Amino acid sequence: MNVSPEGALDKNMKVLVVDDFSTMRRIVKNLLRDLGFTNIQEADDGSTALPMLQGGDFDFVVTDWNMPGMQGIDLLKAIRADASLAHIPVLLITAEAKKEQIIMAAQAGVNGYIVKPFTAGTLRTKLDKIFERLG
Amino acid sequence: MNIAMVGRVSLEQAKSLVEFLETDQQDKADALIAEIQNPINSELFAEIGKLTRQLHDSLNNFQLDSRLNDLATADIPDAKERLNYVITRTEEAANKTMDVVESVFPVVDNLAERVRGVNPSWTKLMNNEIDLPEFKGLCVDIDALLIATGKETQHIHSLMTDVLMAQDFQDLTGQVIRKVIDLVREVEDSLINMLTAFGLSAEKPQENASPKVGDNLVEGPIVNKENRDDVVEDQDDVDDLLSSLGF
Repeated sequence: MNVSPEGALDKNMKVLVVDDFSTMRRIVKNLLRDLGFTNIQEADDGSTALPMLQGGDFDFVVTDWNMPGMQGIDLLKAIRADASLAHIPVLLITAEAKKEQIIMAAQAGVNGYIVKPFTAGTLRTKLDKIFERLG
Repeated sequence: MNIAMVGRVSLEQAKSLVEFLETDQQDKADALIAEIQNPINSELFAEIGKLTRQLHDSLNNFQLDSRLNDLATADIPDAKERLNYVITRTEEAANKTMDVVESVFPVVDNLAERVRGVNPSWTKLMNNEIDLPEFKGLCVDIDALLIATGKETQHIHSLMTDVLMAQDFQDLTGQVIRKVIDLVREVEDSLINMLTAFGLSAEKPQENASPKVGDNLVEGPIVNKENRDDVVEDQDDVDDLLSSLGF
């Protein structure tokens, strides 16, 4: 993905931001908006996010790991297990920092892993990488 | 009583028995016979009696320690309220700050846009290439820009003061959290006392004792990274780990 304003990236791609803390959703939304994304929706955990994903044509998911209800890792697994959603890139932004968990996420098919606390620069780099790989 | 003897009855016991009978002490003689018949049981009963008394005393001591009761019924509920207060105050502060930031973004973008607008004419002026009508137009634009900039910077300044004041949560939440830490320490002491009273050693922690983790190893932010080798230090570590796995 080219996130520069003149890039070829579709800035209207539909993004779902999943986090149980509204402040973190707000931060991520602001950063994404700064990168040019305009079509952003929110959910406060996996079990809210999954029906939204199944009901709407989302192009990208940014999710926390540790949430009450359905955790981000389980949301990721559910997305990969659903043929109609499996193609959607998923970026984890989480405070979970155990090596075992990072491996778990990689094996579950995560497209990017950002550990909190993170910077706007990190988010930008990871987005570039994810969409560059997807071509 | 000597239960280590080889036979069922010792010479000493037999002599005492004869003595009790000869001196008309029938009850003592009966007791001795009972003891000879059931030496282990009487030892056991004595031991159980001792333990019962100890348990009774221990339980009484716990009831007497009214601090435990206060901890469970007053201090801990109070601590929960205090921690909720921390969540509320930090959330308020974060939202107040983001309110300001979100309101400043478009103002700054707008000023930058207007500066870009006058830039071509301004460059001509600086290069002595401007004609009179354009110069007049530039003056009008610059005048408007100066007025707008003056007004907006003043506005932004007062908003920045709001951001500054939103940081006052640190002092308040710091005090609250410190108090909760004191409580946790007190509960820890009480638990250790209880373990000791019941004869469990709190001195030697279990070999690989570690705090409980949730489903999928969920633990939240790692606060003691430097003491652990099962966690990543930062984003670079994450990236290295993933690329070492071929991701």
